Amino acid sequence: MYKETTLKKKITVFSIFALIPLFVFTAVVIVPFIIGFIMTLTNWNGTSSVFQFIGFNNYKAAFSDNQFWVSLWLTIRYVFFTLILTNIVAFFLALLVTAGRKGQHFFRAGFFTPNLVGGIILGFVWQFIFARVLVYFGKTWGLDIFTYSWLGDTTKAFWALVIVGVWQNAGYMMLIYIAGLMSIPSSLSEAANLDGAGSFQQLFRIKIPMMISSFTICLFLTLQRSFMVYDTNLSLTKGGPYRSTEIIAMHVYDDAFIYRNFGSGQAKAIMLFIIVSLIVTLQVRVMKRLEVDA
Amino acid sequence: MSALLASGLAACSGSENSSSSANPNAEPAKAGSPTEISVLIGKSEIISQFEEMVEHYNTSQDQVNVSIISLGNQNAFDKMTTLYASNNAPTITMMGSEYESMHDKLLDLSDQPWVPHVMKGSLDYVTDGSQIKGMPVSVEAFGLMYNKKVLDQASGGDFDPASIKTQDQLKSLMDNITSSGAAEGAIHISPMDWSLGAHYTNIFFTDQSSDRDQRHKFLDDLKKGTVNLSENKVFSGWMNTLDLMKAYNINKSSPLSPVYDDGPTALATGQVGLWFMGNWAYPQIQELDPEGQYGFLPVPISNNAEDYGNSEISVGVPSYWVVDAEQSTTDQQKAAKEFLNWMISSEDGQDYYVNKLNFLSVFDNFTAEPADSLSQSVLSYMKSGNTLEWMNTYYPADAFPAMGTSMQKYLADKINKSELVKEFEAYWIKKGSN
Repeated sequence: MYKETTLKKKITVFSIFALIPLFVFTAVVIVPFIIGFIMTLTNWNGTSSVFQFIGFNNYKAAFSDNQFWVSLWLTIRYVFFTLILTNIVAFFLALLVTAGRKGQHFFRAGFFTPNLVGGIILGFVWQFIFARVLVYFGKTWGLDIFTYSWLGDTTKAFWALVIVGVWQNAGYMMLIYIAGLMSIPSSLSEAANLDGAGSFQQLFRIKIPMMISSFTICLFLTLQRSFMVYDTNLSLTKGGPYRSTEIIAMHVYDDAFIYRNFGSGQAKAIMLFIIVSLIVTLQVRVMKRLEVDA
Repeated sequence: MSALLASGLAACSGSENSSSSANPNAEPAKAGSPTEISVLIGKSEIISQFEEMVEHYNTSQDQVNVSIISLGNQNAFDKMTTLYASNNAPTITMMGSEYESMHDKLLDLSDQPWVPHVMKGSLDYVTDGSQIKGMPVSVEAFGLMYNKKVLDQASGGDFDPASIKTQDQLKSLMDNITSSGAAEGAIHISPMDWSLGAHYTNIFFTDQSSDRDQRHKFLDDLKKGTVNLSENKVFSGWMNTLDLMKAYNINKSSPLSPVYDDGPTALATGQVGLWFMGNWAYPQIQELDPEGQYGFLPVPISNNAEDYGNSEISVGVPSYWVVDAEQSTTDQQKAAKEFLNWMISSEDGQDYYVNKLNFLSVFDNFTAEPADSLSQSVLSYMKSGNTLEWMNTYYPADAFPAMGTSMQKYLADKINKSELVKEFEAYWIKKGSN
């Protein structure tokens, strides 16, 4: 390993390995973030060449916007349901395709595929399914629940979003759970078999505790992905009907670019950043404590 | 590694050089090499036809080379802020209400030869003092679109659009459509917020008065909070017509389900006789029913055929071609003007404009005329002067989503009439106080 003693040597090594990434990170993340923050303190409208500093007025406007809170609450509900459903579905799919059945590699690939399709396309595909395919079958077979498009009803449109979110992400999370299941030493399950532990006991006493790190990763990923979801939201419901499915990322974009409230839109983006980073930090800390070593 | 970095930096500075040459003071392009200009175009439905026209223009002369910046799925305002911020502004932009925040960056076009030939009133929006900063793209119209085949059958003969000028006439027409079995339902309502909030609402603003100042005063008064909508006669009549349409809506039991594409399908396949929409929907209808005859009916708001708005349909200019004055060279500006003129005055340009792009021209010196029935219907309203102003051009940017949202709730029976009025008034007063 490296054993630099002088400052000069340390700087040299640092420059060789970290300078370029650091430069890129500063240029594309740190600087825009700071500029973005400064913009929230001005009344710049996105195009004009003059603007004034107006203190925290944009934040006041953002806080007093009822639609923002409605949208935030909707997002929290959406995240809650997608988080739970995605991980349950993904975990069971993982158990299923590692159980040693015939053709499990094929199924693994199949379940993973939705993740390879872009969110916009996927949203349009599901829009077609909800607005046409299901309606067709609903009308032909007299199923009341499908007679009209789910996307025209506030509650059903919300569940449509959840279903598509789960369907899109479960395959990816499944892969992580598969990796977690595979990494459990086979000696453990052999020992458990000899001791006469049933498959449920093995699942809850051995597999799940041994996979806490996979859960950490998956929960982290689903939390972050569903909090920031935009593309499926856009192509599936466009926030409708009457802005009832406007998830927070879309709300922020619309506020800035559709309603042209650049200042309050940007302020909301900063607030969203703070909220998401708080949740994620908290979650990673909690999960770290739960991890065990084999 | 450092070589890679250096080349990266060189690439950066290279692009900076090329954009700084987009400065009006920079030296003119060498003779012989064509002037490069770019066009940002928003209408994704005509992009391939537009490309074809540009291709034709580029090969027909060697002075100007036009390239197209397509909007893709981005929003126009979003794209423009990016392009302007990166000092990479498009020379020509197709622009709608973005004009409001962009107009100080645009070139004066008042000396252009097309100016005396435009339809009256269509330059009001882009007139900035003595300057004219935009060339109208096309005329668009909306109203109650009808499928003549269905209405012929419903009225038992040759349907005459002039026969519908009152709410009662509209009601009996819709009754006839269903009772005669001509179609499954009378009318299709597209529940998009832009259709309801920008187009349908336009009618109660513009029907206030045949005098431009009067109706614009109404808009201002609404902002000031001095208008009581529930006591406004035009507004009440307009609401009654909405109720009528709502009652005959083919998707009455789930009014918010239809997506846009359901509209052209329903009208063109004869599932309904009427659809509240505009002439931009024609290409899709034509695909489904190339032989069909279509036209527009006014949206009547009272039972007096003489009332303003009962014989007129809304005709307006939704977007303008504008030329950037801030980041383009004088050569590019000149080339941009030339290209715009070619589009609307040369024979080839007019042909593309009318027959390929399906634009209805605002200019009175067009020799090419559209042949389809729907455009003919719009032209006949224009020729007789039975047109209503697009007041929605003067709405604030968030007006159509706000009013559209309220109207969607009303369509789905989530709120009643007085709540709708309250939401409308609250929105406009909030706008006035800002």
